Amino acid sequence: MMARPRRSRAARPSSRDQPATGREPGDEATDRGPGGVPEGGARALPSHLANALAGLREPIVVILLIIGFMSWISGKPLDGLLILLAGVSLAWDAGRRSRQAGPAEASSAEASSAEASSAEASSAEASPREPGSAAREDAVQAATAAAPSPAGLAAPDATTDAPPAPTAAGQAGGPGARARWRRPALLAAWLAGGALYAVVTGSFSRYSWPATVPVAGLGAAVVAIGWRGPRHPRPPTPRPPAVGLALWGVVFVAACLWELWSLLEQPDLATSSYAHPTISTLTDPVLSTWAGRSIVLAGWLGLGWFLVER
Amino acid sequence: MNSHDVTVLGYLVVLLAGIILQLLATRTRAPIPPLGKVLAWAMSTRTRRVGMLVAWAWVGLHFFAR
Repeated sequence: MMARPRRSRAARPSSRDQPATGREPGDEATDRGPGGVPEGGARALPSHLANALAGLREPIVVILLIIGFMSWISGKPLDGLLILLAGVSLAWDAGRRSRQAGPAEASSAEASSAEASSAEASSAEASPREPGSAAREDAVQAATAAAPSPAGLAAPDATTDAPPAPTAAGQAGGPGARARWRRPALLAAWLAGGALYAVVTGSFSRYSWPATVPVAGLGAAVVAIGWRGPRHPRPPTPRPPAVGLALWGVVFVAACLWELWSLLEQPDLATSSYAHPTISTLTDPVLSTWAGRSIVLAGWLGLGWFLVER
Repeated sequence: MNSHDVTVLGYLVVLLAGIILQLLATRTRAPIPPLGKVLAWAMSTRTRRVGMLVAWAWVGLHFFAR
């Protein structure tokens, strides 16, 4: 297809994507082709650096790097190293995807200008709204949401939409009936597994290797799952009111600042203080018992499950 | 009231503020989203989703791992 001036809306980078394309002072913005990608693919190292720097514009990346740094200097080098690695990887990934979004949007625009299908047009529209390929990934998943899925969450819908004949089959142990009890059974199995995990891991003393391995292993597995994308296709979550977000942000920042103040008031960063206890110090009595550790681990698991299911 | 009490009181005030916000979000028509919706919105892009999960993993490592 012949190149033509890009004037389609899909070729226009969104206001949210544009700053994340790595156009910073000192960046190789001048030798980039459309979309912010270096022409000719040369100079790989500056490109990686630019990707990481572009990813630093995500607030969550900055928060992770601060957490990792504070963990490192407060006597938890393993925590700090892992979080710093995760933060840098996430920064690089976010920057790379936001920079790749430019050429993808441009090609979508050319396709739509040649009488593209409505599905392609909606996909091209989805790209500018959210940074990087995550938006396209979510759009594709939403578009395929109607496809038949394995037994599990989609099963109840299948049974309710079924005509009377399949209902009779469900009573006779057909696929509808199996799916109806499979979900509670699966949930019960997960709950039992989680309880077993909490009790067994909670039986080990804190900061021991037997406690470290299951916690670090589960954390890494959950992060890997999250990196692949949402587990279930979901409609886009509307942005909550700005006032409400700001209020929650104030509470979150206040908690962080209060914790930081307590940390800095300690004799040193690795020595706890009774006069200025951090949250870790306050939870020490609870976490010194098996039951306390198991309960806190169960809460940690529950929060992780909630987050993974979003 | 000594420094220990003041520090603990600060944590309790923050916790109370969070509880009040959640109650306002669920019991009134104030333009405040429940914490669950804030988290769901925060997880709506891959970068934020992975970042939140890394932060969650860090909590476990911080309290239990070496």
